[in-house]
Amino acid sequence: MWQRVGNSYLPGTLSVIGGLTLWELVSRLLVANALFLAAPTQIVEAIYTLTLDGQMGRHVAVSSAEFALGYVIASLLGIAVGFGMASSATFKQAMQPWISGLYATPTIALAPLFILWLGIGIWSKVLVVIFLVLFPVAINTEAGLRTTSDRLIEMLKSFGATPQQIFFKVSLPSALPFILAGLKLGIGRGLIGVVVAELFGSRAGLGRLISQSADAFNMPELFAGVIVLAVAGIAMTAGFSYVERKLVPWTKD
Amino acid sequence: MARKLEVTGLSKRFDQLEALRGIDVAVERGEFISVVGPSGCGKTTFLRIVAGLEPATSGTVLLDGRALGKPGGDRGFVFQNDSLLPWRTVLGNAMIGPEVAGSIGPKERQRTLDLLKLVGLGGFENYYPRQLSGGMRQRVNLARALAIDPDILLMDEPFASLDAQTREIMQTELLRIWEQGRKTVLFVTHQIDEAVFLSDRVLVFARRPGRLQESVEITLPRPRSLELKRTPEFVAYVDRIWKLIEDDVRTAVIHEHV
Repeated sequence: MWQRVGNSYLPGTLSVIGGLTLWELVSRLLVANALFLAAPTQIVEAIYTLTLDGQMGRHVAVSSAEFALGYVIASLLGIAVGFGMASSATFKQAMQPWISGLYATPTIALAPLFILWLGIGIWSKVLVVIFLVLFPVAINTEAGLRTTSDRLIEMLKSFGATPQQIFFKVSLPSALPFILAGLKLGIGRGLIGVVVAELFGSRAGLGRLISQSADAFNMPELFAGVIVLAVAGIAMTAGFSYVERKLVPWTKD
Repeated sequence: MARKLEVTGLSKRFDQLEALRGIDVAVERGEFISVVGPSGCGKTTFLRIVAGLEPATSGTVLLDGRALGKPGGDRGFVFQNDSLLPWRTVLGNAMIGPEVAGSIGPKERQRTLDLLKLVGLGGFENYYPRQLSGGMRQRVNLARALAIDPDILLMDEPFASLDAQTREIMQTELLRIWEQGRKTVLFVTHQIDEAVFLSDRVLVFARRPGRLQESVEITLPRPRSLELKRTPEFVAYVDRIWKLIEDDVRTAVIHEHV
């Protein structure tokens, strides 16, 4: 198999470098119109300038706060709802239509409504993030607790374990990989929520940077916003994978 | 000798199916008893009722004269599937019984470490289940059941998922460990030679409904080694038990494959 040369990063690195070079050439020679496409070098320059004059810091700070608040609230709420659904059949039956319905709905479409209700400050974005992150976390938590191996539960029962002991010693640890997977899914969804909600109306944030750059046909700054978001998403997901390997190593074989 | 376990008139119904009918069994202290029979004879159900994992429809089960109900520390169950917690080390898994009972002092820890050594896992305390072979996992399974120092050991086809060679090794290992403490053992298996090799007595179950057909005393000398399996006496026992269940096994096989 020629595409797997040991564990080499070479093909990947070459592909990225090649892609960036092609992009640079296309934007400088083929498109050659700063209104439609920015070259990678121009984007790096824009990021540098925006960082120096403090704009980037302000946008990143606002978006981060919106994401962090929404994400933490949604995670806690989602885990709690998942626990509730796993432990009470009635609660699950009552929640199921809402959870399934809202998970499948592109709730991002409600962002304009939230902005109408809560204003263009950070709380309308926080609410969007909550709506996007809550459901995968709740669904995964419930699924994780529900799919706990009957054999393991029975093993613990054979030692005379109480329901609480079964929960803490078996159900919770075996649900952990599912909960983490839900939280990981929430990262991408939460980021989308922040940016799209900001596009609909905001004073600051990366979405705001992107929309105002688009309005001004400032392609380098538009791409600067996109690239920072991409890097944030990749970094957070990678960090999360690391935490997963540390916390639930038994799922990685 | 005092009766360790006394089962009287034990019956079990699952809706239409009569799984067990009128089982009477008395087990002496320190006896190694195997239960064999064709699939569907209720041997595992019998073991699960004694363990308290399944309620009986009627009849009584007495351990040292006490009526048995819910599972507890007086019975150690060794599962067919090792049922180890993948996020715990070997020691963590073996300690689960004492932990459930709320006693995880240094004394229990040392006892469990000694047990791990006894089952041949000295030095593997900090390994995770995924790092162990099937045979080693079953050793943890056994140590875990022994760690609560049960009055009786209940084993549900513990070697069924092992390959033939590992199984033979584990049989001699089990006897070696058993000789150390001479716990009362109730061992369910579908392998007749395994039952004869290990036991003082083999209970032969019949199916539809599940019932005790015969109790065969095994008077082969102890300690036993694998060579015993090639002696005419051993083969005669296996033959005799096989003849008892042969017809039943044939019908069971036909029923399962139609």
